[in-house]
Amino acid sequence: MKISYSLLKTLVNTSLTAEALGDLLTMAGFELEEIETVNGAPVLDIKVMSNRGDGLSAFGLAREILAKDGSSTPTDLYRRAAAHFADVSLPVGPAFEVRIETPSCSRFSAMRIENVTNGPSPDWLSEALLQIGQRPISVLVDLTNYVMLELGQPLHAFDADRLGDTIVVREARDGEKLTTLNGTEHTLAAGQLMICDAVRPVGVAGVMGGLDTEVHEGTHRIVLESAHFLNRTVRKTRKQLGLNTEASYRFERSVDPNGVVSAQRRFAELLLAIQPSAQVFEATDLYRLPASDLSISLRLIRASRLLGMSISVEEAARYFTALGFSIQIEGEQLAVTLPSWRPDIVREEDLVEELGRIHGYEQIPETLPSGTSVLGGVWGRYAATDRLIEAAISAGYSQVINHSLQGTSPLDAAAERVGPRNPSSPDLAFLRNGLLSGMAVTARLNGGRDVHLAEVGRVFTAGKESVHLCLVSNGDLHVPDRASETPPKADFFSLKADILDIFLAVGIELDLAAGSRDPRFHPGRQARLTRNGQEIGVIGEIHPTVANELGLAPRTLAAEVSLDAIFAEGDAELPLKSFARFPAVRRDIALLVSKAVPFAEIEGRLRRSIGPLLERLWLFDVFVGTGIPAGSHSLGIALVMRKPDGSFTDEEANQLRDAAVAELAELGATMR
Amino acid sequence: MNAAEQEIQNAVREAFSALEAATTTQQIKEIEQAFLGKSGQIVQFAKRMGALPKEERPAFGAAVNGAKQEVQGRLDARAATILEAELARQFEEEAIDVTMPGRRTRRGNSHILHQTTLRIKQVLSGLGFVYEEGPELEEFRYNFDALNYPPDHPAMDDQDTFYVSDDQVLRTQCTGLQGRVFEKTAPPLRVFTVGRTFRNEAVDRTHNHTFHQVDCFMVDEGVSMADLKGTLGAFARAMFGPEVTVRFRPDFFPFVEPGVDYAISSPKLFGGRWVELGGAGLIHPNILERYGIDTERYSGFAFGLGVERIPMMAYGVDDLRNFLENDLRFLDQFQRQPIRGLA
Repeated sequence: MKISYSLLKTLVNTSLTAEALGDLLTMAGFELEEIETVNGAPVLDIKVMSNRGDGLSAFGLAREILAKDGSSTPTDLYRRAAAHFADVSLPVGPAFEVRIETPSCSRFSAMRIENVTNGPSPDWLSEALLQIGQRPISVLVDLTNYVMLELGQPLHAFDADRLGDTIVVREARDGEKLTTLNGTEHTLAAGQLMICDAVRPVGVAGVMGGLDTEVHEGTHRIVLESAHFLNRTVRKTRKQLGLNTEASYRFERSVDPNGVVSAQRRFAELLLAIQPSAQVFEATDLYRLPASDLSISLRLIRASRLLGMSISVEEAARYFTALGFSIQIEGEQLAVTLPSWRPDIVREEDLVEELGRIHGYEQIPETLPSGTSVLGGVWGRYAATDRLIEAAISAGYSQVINHSLQGTSPLDAAAERVGPRNPSSPDLAFLRNGLLSGMAVTARLNGGRDVHLAEVGRVFTAGKESVHLCLVSNGDLHVPDRASETPPKADFFSLKADILDIFLAVGIELDLAAGSRDPRFHPGRQARLTRNGQEIGVIGEIHPTVANELGLAPRTLAAEVSLDAIFAEGDAELPLKSFARFPAVRRDIALLVSKAVPFAEIEGRLRRSIGPLLERLWLFDVFVGTGIPAGSHSLGIALVMRKPDGSFTDEEANQLRDAAVAELAELGATMR
Repeated sequence: MNAAEQEIQNAVREAFSALEAATTTQQIKEIEQAFLGKSGQIVQFAKRMGALPKEERPAFGAAVNGAKQEVQGRLDARAATILEAELARQFEEEAIDVTMPGRRTRRGNSHILHQTTLRIKQVLSGLGFVYEEGPELEEFRYNFDALNYPPDHPAMDDQDTFYVSDDQVLRTQCTGLQGRVFEKTAPPLRVFTVGRTFRNEAVDRTHNHTFHQVDCFMVDEGVSMADLKGTLGAFARAMFGPEVTVRFRPDFFPFVEPGVDYAISSPKLFGGRWVELGGAGLIHPNILERYGIDTERYSGFAFGLGVERIPMMAYGVDDLRNFLENDLRFLDQFQRQPIRGLA
C-alpha cells in the first residue's frame, strides 16, 4: 500500500524522516518495500500482512508508529479519528429505508447529502491522490478514496436521483444483471452479495458500485454508503465476478465495524470545508451485529518465557494502551480487552506477539535450546540414500536433480501415472513415474553422448510414492587422452558393474535376471535387477528407436532401481571373513560352448563344484572366429583357488579344476 | 719382488686398465667376474699358496689380499662413477614435459543442491535435530488443516496449489511434516527435513513451480523466541560465516504465533544489507493442541527457508531455473567451491 509521508504527518507529530518511519513500521510488522519521491515528496510503499487489515490506512499505521515510538505524539486529527469524529454534528434528515437481508452484512449506514456539485477536486485533494498514483476523478469520488486512505473504511457515493428510496443488502438471485462502473456487465448468481434498491442490484457489496447509479457531473444529491461485510463473502463474490478493488482488498482482510459512521462524518466534514453550501444529514445506521468486547487474560510471566525476554507490567500496559486495547492490571496478569479493529487476536499467544512486536524483537537475546536433547543426525534410509548417491558420484556419474512434474515420454514407466488436475501446461501434466524419462532429457541437453548421469528422487504412481536411483551412461567411459585416443565405450557390462558396485557400497547385493521384456530397451540387451529374488529394477540398452526419437546417441545404457524394498529390509550385517596366508593357485580354462548357454549357469556350476576354495573367478576372454563353430564361442575363465590351511599341490589344483569342468559337460561345453 | 708377486702386480695393473676402459655397469660386472670372481685371476693366485714353502706363504697371502682389496676399491669407485653417469643419461632420456595435461579416470560431480543439503544436514544434525522426510504428494490435511490454515485461505486455491485430488496436493511447504511427526512422536522432539515443494506459479528467473525447502522444528518445555534466534544464528553462521547476525521482523504465517520473518546480515555479504531468508516463529498453539500437546507445559519453534536461496546468495546465481535444468556447464562449476561460500 502506498502512503505518503505527508498524510502520515497529518496524524502523527514526529521528527522521524520517511526512512526512519519506514524502518519503524518494518520492525512493527509493516514492511517498507520502497520509498519513492513523487513531486518532491516521499511516498512509502508498505506491505501489510494479510491478517492486519487495520494497517491499510494512514490512521492504522499512525497507531503503530505511536505505539512503537515514544518520541512521536498524536495530532489533533488523530485524536478526533480515535473518537470517531463524534464532534461532527449533523442534522437529522428525512428517513431513508435500509434493509439488511443477509448475515454477511453486519452494518450498513446511508448518509444523505444534498446540494452538492461534482466538479474537479481542489488541488490539495488531487495532489494527495496523484502522489500515491491514483487518478483524480471528481470531488465526490476523490473524497471517498481519500477518506478510505486516511481511515481504512471504503465508502461509495450513489447518485441519489438514480437510486430508489430504499437500499436492500441481499444476495443476488440467479440471472440478475448488473453493469459495474468499470463497464462490465455481470450476470449474477445466487449467493453473491449485492447492494440493491427496491428492485435491482446497484452495486457489488464491498467491491464496486454499479454504472447506472454512479455519480456524474450533473449529480446534486448523493447517498453515501459506508458498511461492514463478512470478508469471506466479499472474497467469494469478487472472485466469481473477476473484480479486485481497493475496497474489496480491505474488506477481505478486515475493516473496523465501529469505524463505519466515523468515515461518513469525516467525509461530511471535508466536503463541507470544500462546499460549505452542501447539506449533509446524519446517517441512517443499521448496526445489526455490534462487535462485542472480547477480553483475554495475559500472564506476563508466560509472555516473557515464550519471548525469551522480560517485559514489565508497566511496559506491557503502555504498549497495549497505545495500540488501543483497554487493560486491567491484576498483579502479574493483564485483562486485555480487544479493540474492534483487531479480529486477528483470539488467544493469549496473539497478545504475546503484540508485546514482542512493540517491545522489539531486536531485544531478544540468542540462546540455544536447553532441555532434553536427542541424538541429532541423518540416520537409516536417509543416510543410506545419501551414501548411494555419493557412491554413484564416486563411480563417475554426475548427479542431476530433475523436475517431478513432466509431460509424457516414451521412457515413462508402465505403472499408472498421476498428475495435477489443474496443470498450467502439458509439460507439467504428470508426476514422473520413473526417473529415466527426465534423465533422458537431461542427457540430451548435455549433448546426448559421452554423458554419465545419476539421480536419486521420488517417483509417483497411483497411491504410491517411492524413491528411485537411476543411472544413464553413454559413450566414452573417460575423456580421450594420449594413452587411449579412443577410450572404451559404455556398454551393458560397464553399467552392470557400476550399478552392482554402487549398491554394494551400502552393503546391498543386487542380482541380474535375464528374461526382461521392457519395450523401452533393446530386446536382447536388458535384464531385471533383483534383490533376494524380488524384482526391484531394470537395466539395459535403451531401444535404438526410442534413443533416436529422444535425441540420444546410440548405445545409451540405463538402469533404474526402486529403493523401497531395500529400505524395508532394515539393517544389514557386514560379514567379515578371515583370510588365509597360504599362496593361491590359478588355473585357466578355455571352454567351447554354445552361446545359448548363459554364463551365469557356467559360473554357478564352477562355483558349486570347487566350493569355498574358489577365491576368485573371472571371465578374461570371449572369442568367436577361426576354429569356433557358428553359434558357439570360446570362453577363457580364470580360477583362483586358495586353501585356508596349506598350499595346493599342482595335482590337487588340477583335480579340482577337472572335476569342475566335468560338471560343465552337461551344458555341452568342452575344453579347447 | 719375486716372480709371483710380479705376476700379481701385473694382474692388478691389467685390472686397473680394464676398469679405466670400462664405460658400463655391465663391463664392470664382467671385470669383477674376471678378476675377483670365483675363478677370477686374483682369486686364482690364492690356490698357489699350497705349493709354496711354508715361510713364503704369509707374504704371498698378504700380497694376494692386498691386490684383491686394491682392485675391489678401484672397482667400487669406478662402478659408482659409471652408475652415476648412466643414471644421469637415463634421467635425461626419461625427462617428461610436465606441462602436458594430466590423465584422469572419469569423475562424477555432485549437484549443488545436494552439496547444500549435505551442509544443512551436517549443521542441523550438530544442533541435535533428527532428519526426517514426508511425502511430496501430501494429504491436504497435513499440508493445510494441520498447519492452522483457515478454511478459505488463498494459498488453497487451485491457481496457487497443484491438486492431484480434493484431498491430495503437491506439498506447498515442507512444514506439513510437523503433523506427521506430532502424530507419532511425543515431545520433547527436534526434527528437520529438506525437501521438494511445489507452487502453481509462472516460471521466471526468481520463481519456479518446483523448489526445495529446509524445515526445522522442535517442541520441548520452555522453548522460546530466544532459542529460535540462537538456533537460527548458529545455523546462519555455519552456512554464511561467523560474522552473521540475525534479525527478526514480525510477519504472519498461519502456523506460527508469534510469527517472524528472519533476515541475516554480515559485513562480508551483500554490502551489509539485511537479506531475508525465511519465515519462523513459535509453533501455533492451535497446532500443538490439535495433536494433544499440552501448551501450558510445552512450546516449540519452527523455521523454514529455501535451499536454492543459499547458493544463490553465496555464489550469486541469478536464475533459479538453472538448478533443475541440470546443464553440466552450470553444475560442474560448483565442484571447486567451498560450500561455505564467502565465509
